[in-house]
Amino acid sequence: MILTILKKDLKLFFSDKKAVLLTFLMPILLISLFAFAFGGTGGNNNNANPIKLLIVDMDQSIDSKSVISKLDSLNEIVLIPKDSTEATSLVLKGKYVGVLIFEKGFQEAINLGADLPLELKYDAAREIEMGMLQSVLMQNLMQTVGQKSVKAKMNTYFDKNFAGIPSGVKDKIFADMETGKSGMNGSMNMNMGLKMTSVIKENADRGNLGLIQAVAGTAIMMLLFSIAGIGGGLLDEKEAGTLKRLLYSPLKATDILFGKMGAALVLAILQLVVMFIFSWLVFGLPIFKNVTALVLMILATAFAVSSFGMLLVAIAKTRQQLQGLSTIVILVMSAVGGSMVPLFVMPAIMQKIAMVSVNYWGIQGFYDIFWRNLGIIDMLPKMGVLVGIGLVLSIISVRLFKRNIMKLIYS
Amino acid sequence: MIQVNNLSKSFESIHAVKNISFSIQKGEIFGLLGPNGAGKSTTINMMSAILKSDTGEVLIGGTNLNKNQNHCKALIGVVPQEISLYDDFSAYDNLMFWGSLYKVPTKTLKQRITDLLDLIGLSERKNDLIKTFSGGMKRRVNIAAALLHKPKILFMDEPTVGVDPQSRNRIFEIIETLNKQGITIVYTTHYMEEVERLCNNIAIIDDGVIIAQGTQSELQKKSHVKEAVELTFNTINAAQEENLRALFDLSVNANTVRIQCDVNKELSKIIAACNTNALDIQDLQIKKVNLEAIFLSLTGKQLRD
Repeated sequence: MILTILKKDLKLFFSDKKAVLLTFLMPILLISLFAFAFGGTGGNNNNANPIKLLIVDMDQSIDSKSVISKLDSLNEIVLIPKDSTEATSLVLKGKYVGVLIFEKGFQEAINLGADLPLELKYDAAREIEMGMLQSVLMQNLMQTVGQKSVKAKMNTYFDKNFAGIPSGVKDKIFADMETGKSGMNGSMNMNMGLKMTSVIKENADRGNLGLIQAVAGTAIMMLLFSIAGIGGGLLDEKEAGTLKRLLYSPLKATDILFGKMGAALVLAILQLVVMFIFSWLVFGLPIFKNVTALVLMILATAFAVSSFGMLLVAIAKTRQQLQGLSTIVILVMSAVGGSMVPLFVMPAIMQKIAMVSVNYWGIQGFYDIFWRNLGIIDMLPKMGVLVGIGLVLSIISVRLFKRNIMKLIYS
Repeated sequence: MIQVNNLSKSFESIHAVKNISFSIQKGEIFGLLGPNGAGKSTTINMMSAILKSDTGEVLIGGTNLNKNQNHCKALIGVVPQEISLYDDFSAYDNLMFWGSLYKVPTKTLKQRITDLLDLIGLSERKNDLIKTFSGGMKRRVNIAAALLHKPKILFMDEPTVGVDPQSRNRIFEIIETLNKQGITIVYTTHYMEEVERLCNNIAIIDDGVIIAQGTQSELQKKSHVKEAVELTFNTINAAQEENLRALFDLSVNANTVRIQCDVNKELSKIIAACNTNALDIQDLQIKKVNLEAIFLSLTGKQLRD
């Protein structure tokens, strides 16, 4: 008897193609996505994409060029020369992880054993890339100019404190250091004087990076789910027969869709506003520091998200279809777009793929407001992309809806 | 008022409506009678402009429906087969919403809602949510929602489905009141008794084709179905049967004899013939012609097949 029930249930399950798809394809898709995002496909990080680092060489000396040349030969880094102002601005806008600046007097400092006038300005929003970069830089600076600098520094020290030390003794000490006989190899890896500066100044007015990621990422993902749900009301209208009755009236099919879209947009705006107010009240997110930008960003995000929700509704014919479709599409888009995990932990290729998602542009926009402190002008491109996504999706939704409306009524 | 010319509609390989034509006069209650799947709803949907026909045209008050949909839609009210209301709205809010789609001025609309709630007998329940209403009450609100813009024509697509007899009678009264107010009504149903009670012009549709159209008596003539007297005797032998057969058009089933005739004219003659032939009448029934019989005669099948 038990076996009969078991067979019957399995038969029923496998006859429901959507259920099978959700049960097997969905986890496979997500596992692949996360595995690719975090681990790559080769099981190690050797194949990871190189970090793009801006370079400003104001010293133009043999030593600065030697260091740059050494860094340029590394697989882990791609160097892009820029002038100081532009480079800092690009890092500030989040385009690059950081800029390595060789100040004037770099070579002279090496020769004198002084602290190196070398500064790495970085975007703290990309801390994982930054950690990798710092490690690579220190290692290679030591290999290129480290011994020369330390030797000069110790020479100065000896001259100052042990003026009478025979030069033969000093040479022996330096030789032992180079060959490792002194046991000082560890101490050779001292800080080369690399100055680390976040381009974004920490102050009380700035949001916590993790908080911004959590609020923006979660808000957009949940918004997508709720808008798909609200849009699904259209399919409920079909079930209830009210959609047909709406069509008996002088309304056009597009009026109905635009009405639904308008309602979804208003609710999306409300949902985002409530979420940000909650984050301000409970977590102290500084929502009032650039209210205009925040309002515009909320409007643009809400428009893109509500259009996306409508597209799902225009594609689906039943509530069940919408549920399956929205679960898959929204989870994948949220994973790729940075709602679930910060983008900077993903490989460069994933960061590029992320750009096709609404989540990416929304989250980056909120980063610009709360973390990068950018003005409205700098944020316009991201808002423009969101509005553009919204417009394109709206046009597709309207066309699909007009084509499918009678099928919707009679299906 | 309504002229339907050569209307056809197919859904992929299914020919739902096949080249039908009929006309409806102003002030009529026109019955579109047919079994489920006959093409009634498809016809109504084409006549109300939500479904485009493959061929043919519909003229509403002389205006081509496809060429001036907005004008025609303003003349038409549709009561759909489903209860197409928002369950979580009150009756009043539902009516406000549906009326606003026709751009009825708010003041006029409010008065109209009051009048219609009176008509359907639900003024006391106007603020209750639709989901708390019985099926019959929902059906009445469903009708009122189609009348808010004062249409000249009302399409009613099986408006009594799933309704108890008492509510059904209430709906009939509403329909008759509306008709007295001058509204032309197009009524689709598969219930014979509804058409018999309400409609003065009937079209019988089956398998997408109009089989016959006219008043009930015209349809009776077309179908050649006659009234009958059904007599049950204690016993009847072959000689007695032969004697009756010589006088009347009859059929025999055991001791029961069915005689097709004009009952008013021939009943006394039948009884006299029975007496003459010493036939002891146990039961006598007069079988009036109804649409059921006409439909059976015209289509060769029961309406609820």
